[in-house]
Amino acid sequence: MTTKRKAPAKGAKATKRTASRSKNALAGRAAMAVATSPKRTVKQRVAAIAETPLTICESDKDLQAMLNLLRDRNEPIAVRLAALQSLQAASFSVIAFEACRGDYIATLREVVDDPDPELRQRVLGLLAREKDGFAQKKLIDGLEHPERALVPPEKALQLLAYDVHAEAYAVARDVIRNPPNEDSRREALRLLSADATAAPIFEKLLGDKNELAEIRQLSASALQALRPEKLQTQAREILLDASDYDEIKATSLTALTQFGNEESVANDVELRNRVDEMAATASPNVKQSARRFVDRYSK
Amino acid sequence: MRVEIQINNSASPGASFVSWAPSPCRIRITDPTGAILPIVPIQLRSASAATAGAVRFRSGTAGAFADTLTLQVPANGTSVSFFTAGRFGRPSSSNGDVRIEARAGTTLIGSVPLMVRVRKNANTLSAAERDRFVAAFAKLNNQGTGRFTDFRDMHTNVSSPQAHGAPGFLPWHRAYLLDLERELQAIDPSIALPYWRFDQASPNIFTLDFLGVSDNLGTVHFSPNNPLQFWRTDGVQGINRRPFFSTAQAPPGLRNETNTLGLGTGYAAFRTLEGNPHGTAHTSFGGSISSIGTAARDPLFFLLHCNVDRLWAKWQRRNGRFNPALAASYDTSPANPIGHRLPDTMWPWNGITGGQRPPTAPGGPMAASALVSAPGPQPIVQSSLDYQGSVNAASRLGFDYDDVEFA
Repeated sequence: MTTKRKAPAKGAKATKRTASRSKNALAGRAAMAVATSPKRTVKQRVAAIAETPLTICESDKDLQAMLNLLRDRNEPIAVRLAALQSLQAASFSVIAFEACRGDYIATLREVVDDPDPELRQRVLGLLAREKDGFAQKKLIDGLEHPERALVPPEKALQLLAYDVHAEAYAVARDVIRNPPNEDSRREALRLLSADATAAPIFEKLLGDKNELAEIRQLSASALQALRPEKLQTQAREILLDASDYDEIKATSLTALTQFGNEESVANDVELRNRVDEMAATASPNVKQSARRFVDRYSK
Repeated sequence: MRVEIQINNSASPGASFVSWAPSPCRIRITDPTGAILPIVPIQLRSASAATAGAVRFRSGTAGAFADTLTLQVPANGTSVSFFTAGRFGRPSSSNGDVRIEARAGTTLIGSVPLMVRVRKNANTLSAAERDRFVAAFAKLNNQGTGRFTDFRDMHTNVSSPQAHGAPGFLPWHRAYLLDLERELQAIDPSIALPYWRFDQASPNIFTLDFLGVSDNLGTVHFSPNNPLQFWRTDGVQGINRRPFFSTAQAPPGLRNETNTLGLGTGYAAFRTLEGNPHGTAHTSFGGSISSIGTAARDPLFFLLHCNVDRLWAKWQRRNGRFNPALAASYDTSPANPIGHRLPDTMWPWNGITGGQRPPTAPGGPMAASALVSAPGPQPIVQSSLDYQGSVNAASRLGFDYDDVEFA
């Protein structure tokens, strides 16, 4: 693939810009020479790669050299990861990077099944954030057939959440029913927090005192978005229940302080009395959020 | 005798905010009881605790600021103008922690509380400042249904050419941050957007009570007291952010502030900071912040860009680059794409869609300010340059950084 070069501009200002670009191009070539040299140390090569971001697309030769570093399994992984980061940083200069984007995405797809797990994870993350169908299929395939998984199931679920749709919800529900580990269950729940029909799942989890605090906290957050009136009711019950745990009480207080229905909370004498007590006597975490609640609803 | 003092020439408490750049004010006698002469000398001074904000005064649009100012004020109620500005190095830590006091002789005849509100290093915010900021930010997000959705939708792959890879990168993001900050201030006027000083260790940012702690997966965890636990974007709960470095230190490979400011004295050279440190800061993480299309899903994005903007502000101050008529202040190549030339209106505030602009324009016009009229509802690229009103006082945008003074 050849890169179109811009025709040189005219005039003193333009001459200065051309000189500046030439200087950048020279600096970029020097950095690339170090980056691609097997005689240099990994540290030197990584440092040189960090100097290249904006110049990559100015030269097809430099771009291909960087892509080759990324795809070459014989290169040290630190160099390959640095190449990936450099390309990623260059992609933030969208207009300049447009000419490179096709090759970049194609190379990322080539390396999704690389032997190095960190590289696989980063590349799949980049592609997932681009809502790349190729990557999404690989992630779902790995969840349905663990022997083909390229990343752990919890990571696959986390990445699928960048583009939630029906197929991802179905996979998430399967994982919740039969979780390979707790992290997977948590990420499946997080993915499902975008599914309006999942509200009953979160209601049940929030109300279950035997659940992990983290899951209950996530459930409260999800319910606050999916069915805020339900969260308000459950938060109230949690706060009035002397046997429930501090973390979920603090979360409930935070929810009501930030997002509570002002009129109904302000008129709820039983709740306000209970929170007044907490503001005076509870553990430090709960006391802090109780005081914020009192502060809000006493105004 | 009583006086009324107006900050930013407004009686509204919402206008009682100043920064390092001078704010126009006025004073008038509202009750002349006890005035013997038709003109009353009134002394203004700043009153505050040692750890609070402090202000200084001058009578006109030029000249040095002083700790006190004596004005000759007519007893008939005619206003007299003056200017006040925060004393550099003495920002406020809460709303109203400094007062301007007016005295006739030794008698206090009036005072007004105000705040020296400037953008600070997020790593050094007090707990109260931090908590106010996260509460306001969470409220703006409002579990994914709030006004923040517009800000998220302004920064996508589709809209990216409006704001990246060309000279308008810095002006566009300055306007973007300003719009967001004004929306936060509509929730809590004591808020100023803090910055993540990414070339320094910032362990106080990556905590359960602030922007969260990432686990090995990159899921960000918050304290049960932190309202950011309810953060939601694109319909999904939570934030994905996996640092590739220890958050007790700065990310490696970033161009530091000294070297960034030394990129060049002309804008064309300076704006290469878009690659490093800006792009490198983004890609020091895995997760949403590391890709353009998803970066604005992470609240850290705004603190990252606040630092990029601070670097630009500092470079402008160091090199005198506020005047758009000065060639070195901006890159005015005729080849610049639309939205990147000085007189161009900026998407999305211009509401223009289609053609060379994205298909939608979320968010509507730029948020207004009680302090200043600039940049107006549809800012142009040029309006981002003279943010302190150094060249034209009417260009002042109403924000400042704690470590970039007004000369």
